[in-house]
Amino acid sequence: MGERKIRVLLAKLGLDSHTVGVTVIAQSLRDAGMEVIYTGLRQTPDMVVQAAIQEDVDVIGISSLSGAQMQHIPKVLERLREEEIDDKLVIVGGVIPDEDGEALKAAGVDQIFTMGAHTGEIAAFIREWWDQGDR
Amino acid sequence: MSTAPREPLGSDEFEEPKPSESTPSSPESAALDAAETTWRREVLDPALAKQGERQESFVTQQMHWPVKDLYTPKDLEEIGFDYHEDVGFPGQYPYTRGTTPAGYRQDLWKMLQVTGFGTANDSAERWSKMLEQGLNGFIIEYDLPTTNGYDSDHPLAEGEVARAGTAIDTLADMEQALDLPWDKLQHLNSVCNAPQPVNLAMILAALEKRGIEPSSFTLQMSNAILIEYTCVGRYIYPPKHGLRIATDCIEYTIRNHPNWIPITVVSAQLYAARANPVQELAFGFSIAMEYLDATLARGFDIDEVAPYWSFVTGLEMDFFEAVSKLRAYRKIWARLMKERYGAKRHESMQLKLISSPGTTGLTLQQPLNNIARLGIQTLACALGGGAYAITTPLHDEAHALPSEEAVRVGIAVQNIVAHETGVADTVDPLAGSYLVESMTRKMEDEVFAEIERVDAMGGALAAIEAGYFQKELARSQRDRHREIEDGARKQIGVNHLVQDGEKRTIEMFKLGQQAEELQVEQLVRVRAERDEDLVAKTLERVREAAIGDENLVPPIMEAVKAYATQGEICDVMRDVFGVYHPDSLTSGV
Repeated sequence: MGERKIRVLLAKLGLDSHTVGVTVIAQSLRDAGMEVIYTGLRQTPDMVVQAAIQEDVDVIGISSLSGAQMQHIPKVLERLREEEIDDKLVIVGGVIPDEDGEALKAAGVDQIFTMGAHTGEIAAFIREWWDQGDR
Repeated sequence: MSTAPREPLGSDEFEEPKPSESTPSSPESAALDAAETTWRREVLDPALAKQGERQESFVTQQMHWPVKDLYTPKDLEEIGFDYHEDVGFPGQYPYTRGTTPAGYRQDLWKMLQVTGFGTANDSAERWSKMLEQGLNGFIIEYDLPTTNGYDSDHPLAEGEVARAGTAIDTLADMEQALDLPWDKLQHLNSVCNAPQPVNLAMILAALEKRGIEPSSFTLQMSNAILIEYTCVGRYIYPPKHGLRIATDCIEYTIRNHPNWIPITVVSAQLYAARANPVQELAFGFSIAMEYLDATLARGFDIDEVAPYWSFVTGLEMDFFEAVSKLRAYRKIWARLMKERYGAKRHESMQLKLISSPGTTGLTLQQPLNNIARLGIQTLACALGGGAYAITTPLHDEAHALPSEEAVRVGIAVQNIVAHETGVADTVDPLAGSYLVESMTRKMEDEVFAEIERVDAMGGALAAIEAGYFQKELARSQRDRHREIEDGARKQIGVNHLVQDGEKRTIEMFKLGQQAEELQVEQLVRVRAERDEDLVAKTLERVREAAIGDENLVPPIMEAVKAYATQGEICDVMRDVFGVYHPDSLTSGV
């Protein structure tokens, strides 16, 4: 178990500008003792992956509420594999229809948290993953 | 750009006790006091001794103001309530009872519906259907590439084209979108904040092409860029440039299309970002005054421009907070215009307000429950009175984009409240309620106090540049979320009466697969067919105007008519103004 804090990158891709969710999650993960880095709006998949490398994060959380999840998120996963950093935990939150959620999980997303998910549940999920790993 | 004097807002009126507050009670009041004391001792207390109250304390949902068990004439006496000063008559200052003398007995509110998706053709078809179904007007929402000033083939646009609203790249799209039954349309609301001058120019050019007289209907523009920096995020240029182009639209419209509404302060967006009513009104009014000051600096008199200022609010589920908010909304605007700006015309002091049941009160869980919520909120809209238009969101909006059934139900909800309940048959029916009047006054006092805090920072633009609104909203968002998570605030289907293994059965609107392809095809075709020299020449004129201080709307109109794309026009301004990147403080996250 690491002495360092879990580092989480929170990202908004494309033109989706709904930020209430990501704002709440950022605060709740900080309250849970994690280090949170926020990319800001209008990121491309490559920008997100570059930020993940630069910030040396453990977790990437993508917030998607506009409906364009299938356009951007698989590209993030692909870029993570290309950079050989696909050992990071990738979670997605927002408005994600069930069928898209299944497809994203099949493509490598570790967990989907749709609207109404408890913030404590998200922090616990990250913590559990962290504790299981041999860090 | 703060040119109008920012005098303290007659704060002595509510900070110092009014004579009636401190003077000894009248004989009637003393008798009431005695009667209440007796009632508490002999009637209430014995009843509570058998069974206590169901909660330890009662507070309002958003403000967390304590709610007493009983409100009596004493509450009004304590705040120095004066019927003429605080309430008055409908259509008269301070307009607490409404801005028109006869309220909804004369005209019901206009029934609007937010809508817009797909290509311009899809949208025109759906809007025409809605007008045939009895709506008088509608709000056009554009897709994210359009509201962010990108063309449909921009890399960031992928997956968003024609998704959350209508896609408009060039004048050709706007011509198609405005293929409507114009005899039925009274009110068109166009929500396109950051690229508003381009949007305005496209609408004007499309009307010209279709031979529609602009004065035959009211175009209402949101043009509300300062709200975007505060919470919505669809900004392009740094805030002061955003304010400049918004002011260009306002000035152009007032001078050329005096029956249109060039500015709408969508405080509903603040509300959607979890602003409580005091934050919503205080931030909203501060922002409204920033536009007003910038417009006055263009050489107008307050009474020439104030009547154009228009607002959109959203309501929460706490019924009395909602009603009090609407009543305070009108009164505060009237006081600001009269006391701060010295307005003389009634029209300057009469608030123009669209109110709508709020989307943040809707839940993803048990979505049909949202129909009940919409009904109750629509009732609060009607009882709060004085809104000239009400929009209904849709019960499945929390799920995804609204289905056709949801649109129909939304219209029906408004009609049920209008025709089946009788609430529209008398003006401001809750006036005089000890509770509602107390709460209306409290709302008013706290909003003025918060406006003064923003004034002390230098006004809304300075507050936005410093990240103040953003930080305050972030805190509200977190608090609100916690209240629901820890159950302090009950939400049915979310933390109360939760059903396990609940299935979503609601019909959800599915976007045609080819909308994005069709849109990009049309864009490519328009680009191929236009006169490139003319496009380059007109874009250069836009650049000159942007560098200088001439109004941007006329040169943008020339570029639009040459079929320059929205993205190209916005790019020219990006070059001149720069692009806004908030830091962690000013993003609020």
